[in-house]
Amino acid sequence: MNRRVFLLSLPGLAGCSRSAGRRLNVLNWPEYVAPETIPNFEREFGVKVRYGVFESAEEMLARVMSGNSGWDVVFPTNYFVQPMVELGLLAPLDHSRLPHMGVLDRRFQSPPWDKELRYAIPYMWGATGILYQSTLAPAPGAWADLWAPGFRGRITMLDDPAEVIGACLKKLGYGLNSEDPSQLARAEAEAARQKPMLRAYVNEIVRDQLVAGELLAAQAWRSTAMRAMETAGDKLRFVYPREGYPLYADNIAILRESKRSQLAHDFIGYLTRPEVAARIALTKLESTCNASARALLPAEMRNNEALYPPRGTLARGEWFRPLSAKAQRLRDRIWTEIKSA
Amino acid sequence: MNRLRFWCLTPAGALLGGLFLIPLGIIFAYSLLTRGPYGGVFSPLTWENYSRLADPLYAAILWRSLLYAVIVTAICLMLGFPLALFIARAGRRRNLYLSLVMVPFWSSFLVRTYAWMFLLRDTGLINSALLAAGVIREPLTLLYTPFAVILGLVYGYLPFMVLPVFATLERLDKSLIEASADLGATPGATLLHVIVPLSKPGILAGSILVFISSLGAYLTPDLLGGGKTIMIGNLVQNQFTTARDWPFGAALSLILMLVVMGLLVPLQRRGSEGLL
Amino acid sequence: MKNSRWLSVYAVAAYAFLHLPLVVLAVFSFNSSRFTQWEGFSLTWYKAAFADTQLAEATGNSLLIALAATLLATAVGTLGAYGLWKRNSPWITTSLYLSLVTPEIVMGISLLALYQWIFRYLAIRLGMHTVILAHVMFCTAYVVTVVSARLRAFDASLEEAAMDLGATEWQAFLRVTLPQLAPAVASAALLVFITSFDDYVITSLVAGVDSETLPMVIYAMARKGFNPSVNAISTLIVVALGGLILVSSRLERNEAER
Repeated sequence: MNRRVFLLSLPGLAGCSRSAGRRLNVLNWPEYVAPETIPNFEREFGVKVRYGVFESAEEMLARVMSGNSGWDVVFPTNYFVQPMVELGLLAPLDHSRLPHMGVLDRRFQSPPWDKELRYAIPYMWGATGILYQSTLAPAPGAWADLWAPGFRGRITMLDDPAEVIGACLKKLGYGLNSEDPSQLARAEAEAARQKPMLRAYVNEIVRDQLVAGELLAAQAWRSTAMRAMETAGDKLRFVYPREGYPLYADNIAILRESKRSQLAHDFIGYLTRPEVAARIALTKLESTCNASARALLPAEMRNNEALYPPRGTLARGEWFRPLSAKAQRLRDRIWTEIKSA
Repeated sequence: MNRLRFWCLTPAGALLGGLFLIPLGIIFAYSLLTRGPYGGVFSPLTWENYSRLADPLYAAILWRSLLYAVIVTAICLMLGFPLALFIARAGRRRNLYLSLVMVPFWSSFLVRTYAWMFLLRDTGLINSALLAAGVIREPLTLLYTPFAVILGLVYGYLPFMVLPVFATLERLDKSLIEASADLGATPGATLLHVIVPLSKPGILAGSILVFISSLGAYLTPDLLGGGKTIMIGNLVQNQFTTARDWPFGAALSLILMLVVMGLLVPLQRRGSEGLL
Repeated sequence: MKNSRWLSVYAVAAYAFLHLPLVVLAVFSFNSSRFTQWEGFSLTWYKAAFADTQLAEATGNSLLIALAATLLATAVGTLGAYGLWKRNSPWITTSLYLSLVTPEIVMGISLLALYQWIFRYLAIRLGMHTVILAHVMFCTAYVVTVVSARLRAFDASLEEAAMDLGATEWQAFLRVTLPQLAPAVASAALLVFITSFDDYVITSLVAGVDSETLPMVIYAMARKGFNPSVNAISTLIVVALGGLILVSSRLERNEAER
């Protein structure tokens, strides 16, 4: 029986051929460009683009670490830029080949992870906060509110050690990237106290569960929150917690192994054109790092406080930073302990 | 006689040597190295990754994983054996029924897991049906529980039990079963004293496949368990992803493999000719 | 041997359990809403799935990889099981065991390390070939396990009788033993096909730029939560492969009746 199945399916497969010619291989997060972004680039430059995706920044690193992965352009998150530079994976950018890049937002003109933008151009930025049902009274405004007994069984935290430990550290008034064992121990105690009240540690799926009303509130990434609010309208709200919150930014970079340096620069130049960047920000509900692009957005989006919070709110945000090996190990043990409790 | 055996074993031996044992050697080497500041592996050589395993935290996780794996294997056996028996006795429809066991597994594991999330959640099909029927008044918490994890694992690995059991039942000598009936045994007694013992190789093979697969599971505890309990698979996965501690991940996996081998070897001794 | 009524009732229940999630998936692939409440019939998600060239290519890659892996792993594994049945080889048996108990991520990382080491000396890259080799590697142990289980119930005297009657070793194997093993080989092949078709962890690590598989694309889509396009693809695959199975079992039946 099986043999026949195989034989029957063979002719269909023989037809699978690949287009040759100039090609650019781009490794990015899933669905991180507008639907027409890639086709337009292909048309304008007469090339084919392969848009591969990764699930986590760590997976991206594992896939390009060999230095002969075949990818040209990658999108490292801010705290991966420095490590990738030190591992010799990123090629320096030639800014003279990026002529049409709009003006970057002031926060990204000299970001802490790559002060002179030598290796990576900031693309989109995000944050972590609380997504909640707008009917809640009082509305949660701080991480500490996620410990309220009334939420028992109806809240979730992210399935991510940096986020959960980070929220606990912020609740206690410590820094997001703390490496201090006693601060981390106190954060662990907070997480352990919260765990019995949690429905789960989950990521993007909270969108569905909040829209369906199964959850009251959740620690959520802003991009997840924007998608949820797009569907649910006024039913859901997103808040940047009072104690402070994590910020992250995705950047565009060229791998040192790439043999298509000019084309890769063309691609970055294209993605940073204000009108292209604006379309991506518009369709994907993300916050662009490009000030010229933001200026092109419709007013209700440009002034959306979830996407572009006022200066005071932004000042409470803190960037994730690469941690020392020792701190990472300590945090991993803490995370394992929280999860297996 | 030996020439044939040689040619039969060469491909398997070459494959295992080149693509498994050598890479395993690399993993062993990793386990003796030090984590680089950004992941990856660096010298100096150290035993430290193994001494870290003395931490009772890891033993507790291993113990829980073994428990889950045993429960899942037992349930798969109870559900899978009768199904394999049914298929083996289905005559000409056998292939069709066998394929029907596999059909659900042509959609991705992740998608099937999402389907269960869909059925089990508070506003899911099961809760809606029970609420509508008036059996319950508040939705049951089904998703993100150990129950959901075990259900997901059983669902995921049931074919691993059905296929090998079917493969032995299928060619069972029918005259033995008839003889048993002729000698006055009830169908139940025949099942217990004739069919089950004769299908022991298939049962063992199936149990091993299910046990090992569920022991190493990591996606199901994450998605259906809501990440509130971790199994050893999550711990290993985590070292290679979020924690980026490859040397410790390597040490952890080698120890896990040793533990499982330690459990399987006595089993193999008991089975007269070995399991493989 | 006929199935008793109880066993048949049980089988219906068991099939319902196996297929229920699939039915749910299929039903919601026709939902007009992206979310989990039913909001009306629509083919939107099928249109979206068909318009997606990346999906088509990934499906082709996955089928090709699964077919190649099935053919190779079934051949290697069946021969291996037979060789081991003739006389056990402790180191092969132990390695097979070890490969079964190796966590997927470890196998993926170790293969990646091996490939990268080889690539330093040879001008090749990650691609379909590296994925196929990896799949053959981890699937062979499944084949050996399933086929060995069947071999242990096989009567060695049949083969001896064939040889007494003048058959060579090879002839005895091909004409007597192999046909007896056919159902087990078929089950093993099915198992390999599905395992290979579904693998994500190892594949994502050893896949190159040109060898993106369906699970990789589905993971990327499903990561953002529930996505009816994914349901649509899954439904199509199940219907297509299920149809093939039905057709082939019909053919087989006709052949048997002739």
